Amino acid sequence: MSKLAMWARLKSPWVLHFNSGACNGCDIEVVALLTPRFDVERFGIKLEPSPRHADVLLVTGSVTQQCAERLKRIYDQMPEPKFVVAIGACACSGGVFKGNYNVLNGVDKVIPVNAYIPGCPPKPEAIIDGVVKLLNSLKPEKPAKKEKKK
Amino acid sequence: MSQKETDILSVLQAKFKDTSVQVQPQQLGKVAVIADATTYRDVLKALLEADEKTAVIAITGIDLGATLGVFYHIRTSTAGIITIKVEVPQEEPRLKTISDLMPGAAFDEMEVTDLVGVVFEGHPSPGRLVLPDNWPDGVFPLRKDAKLDNLQFKPTPPSEPASPGNEDIVKIIIGPQHPALLEPEKFALKVEGEIVKDVQPRIGYVHRGIEKAAESRTYLQDVYLVERICGICNACHATCFVEAVEKILETEVPPRAKYIRTILLELNRLHSHLLTLGHAGLEIGFETLFQYFWRDREPIMDITEIISGNRVISSGMTVGGVRRDINEADIPKIKGMLTSLRKRLPFYKKVYEDEPSIKMRMKNVGTLKREDALKLCIVGPTARGSAVDIDVRKDEPYEAYGEIPFKLITYNEGDTWARMNVRMDEVEESINIIEYALDNLPTGPFRVRVPRVVPAGETVNRVEAPRGELFYYLKSNGTAYPERVKVRTPTFANIPAFLATAIGSNIADVPPNFVSLDPCFSCTDR
Repeated sequence: MSKLAMWARLKSPWVLHFNSGACNGCDIEVVALLTPRFDVERFGIKLEPSPRHADVLLVTGSVTQQCAERLKRIYDQMPEPKFVVAIGACACSGGVFKGNYNVLNGVDKVIPVNAYIPGCPPKPEAIIDGVVKLLNSLKPEKPAKKEKKK
Repeated sequence: MSQKETDILSVLQAKFKDTSVQVQPQQLGKVAVIADATTYRDVLKALLEADEKTAVIAITGIDLGATLGVFYHIRTSTAGIITIKVEVPQEEPRLKTISDLMPGAAFDEMEVTDLVGVVFEGHPSPGRLVLPDNWPDGVFPLRKDAKLDNLQFKPTPPSEPASPGNEDIVKIIIGPQHPALLEPEKFALKVEGEIVKDVQPRIGYVHRGIEKAAESRTYLQDVYLVERICGICNACHATCFVEAVEKILETEVPPRAKYIRTILLELNRLHSHLLTLGHAGLEIGFETLFQYFWRDREPIMDITEIISGNRVISSGMTVGGVRRDINEADIPKIKGMLTSLRKRLPFYKKVYEDEPSIKMRMKNVGTLKREDALKLCIVGPTARGSAVDIDVRKDEPYEAYGEIPFKLITYNEGDTWARMNVRMDEVEESINIIEYALDNLPTGPFRVRVPRVVPAGETVNRVEAPRGELFYYLKSNGTAYPERVKVRTPTFANIPAFLATAIGSNIADVPPNFVSLDPCFSCTDR
């Protein structure tokens, strides 16, 4: 049963996108992922509006004071197991806004992060690469191939 | 100076001849008027009488040491920007509101109260606008003596009950995380049956304190900071800032740089308009249209990448010119891509004009009358959809816009459909402008060396961003860092339009109406 769940998780991760105070640069690239040129649905990835149905949380932005609490609440609403991907320099470390009075300098100050995708903004190819790497890291280690019997 | 400019100037000079009001031509835009707490409303009234298109662009709050400055930047259709300067004492920063004369200024006043601490007496809806709910009282980030390390945040106030008491009225809260919004903002709608009775916006979820941060970075670093106010219209922010710095430096940019800037600005407009036209399709459940528009938007991103090296944030502008030249060998390729986009336009035009589902969801939805648009100081395609013919590219040409022929597009209907069709037509105009600029690209250098030190001075500047008039006020003090950078974004000016059109409408019409104003909260909050 757990094998089946893992198979489903790897083949159709549902993602939720949350902007925690980004400049929209990363956000339009996340939306561009869904459109014909990049089309992440070929990996079974679907953008899901509700946190309660999502497996992966894509966070952009440097996390403002006003958003921090909401980000925590969305994370708590997601069912286990859940994964967080920080997209863009701001979400990774605060980026160009680091040290401003109203930002918390990165998503990992509020919730645990599984994967970081740097760039300002990262290209859609980089985001796909990051998400695929995250999915690959979840795969159980395959047992070494048995040698064929002679 | 043209005839009309002299008119406004002489009207002001005649009217305030024997008073304490000083009129200074050619300062901060066309005219700077130095008034005090008793006279500034009279000056505004005189300007309102002189011109129907008078609008408050922005209100800058600034810490001047002993006093706090409140600068009202006014736009008139004939004489450009007029600035009214008022000073109030630090101990008792109080002024009367101007939102009774100019309802569009209400949000500007709230922002000044939040960031600088000037209280506007008689304001219709005082309260927090951009700062978080748990922000400590008495700390104003844009004052020079504000201590912003180790802030003691207040406990978060409890959220209001969902039902406001009256059984017939239901409160629907949209946001901060909502499928229809790409960005976190909250709108509390009160609905009775299907009809929206009241809208309470709560913005400030994306407030990053960029105006304060700009004061602690050098001018060159600020170019990259202001670009990141908004990832969509980044080239406009960068251009507006570098033009302001160049105005203080009195530097003339070489013609080739002007043309390359114009191309980057129009590419910005193209991708922003295509994005919105597609997004509107998504909001009315027409997802195919969304996919089509975003597919045809990708070549524009490719052209931006060919020219600047980056898909989204082009970082093409610098003080004194542009950072990269256009490679002559790329021009045929760019033109080919534009031609293939142009071939798709008749199809989209037909969809937006004739498609029954679009007509049903957009015609007569969110109608904004011309008088209201003028009174609320609305800008950009939203204003042009309501037959207000304002466009900074025509009114006060900057970069190469004075030399390039293009049409100013207006529609008379004032509804969602008209606003989207303004954008549809502007897409075609933008392609024309880029093609003209590529054909007539001047030779010569693409940047000039500029002095390292920016002398003390102050200036205002504006450009036409995809969403409307973008305004910057810049004050330098002779050091490596600017004294004050004030940004008024077009989306900030257009929020009153949403409030005015949403109240009384059907709840199902709220999303298409909202998208037709092209909201961008990272701009709005900064």
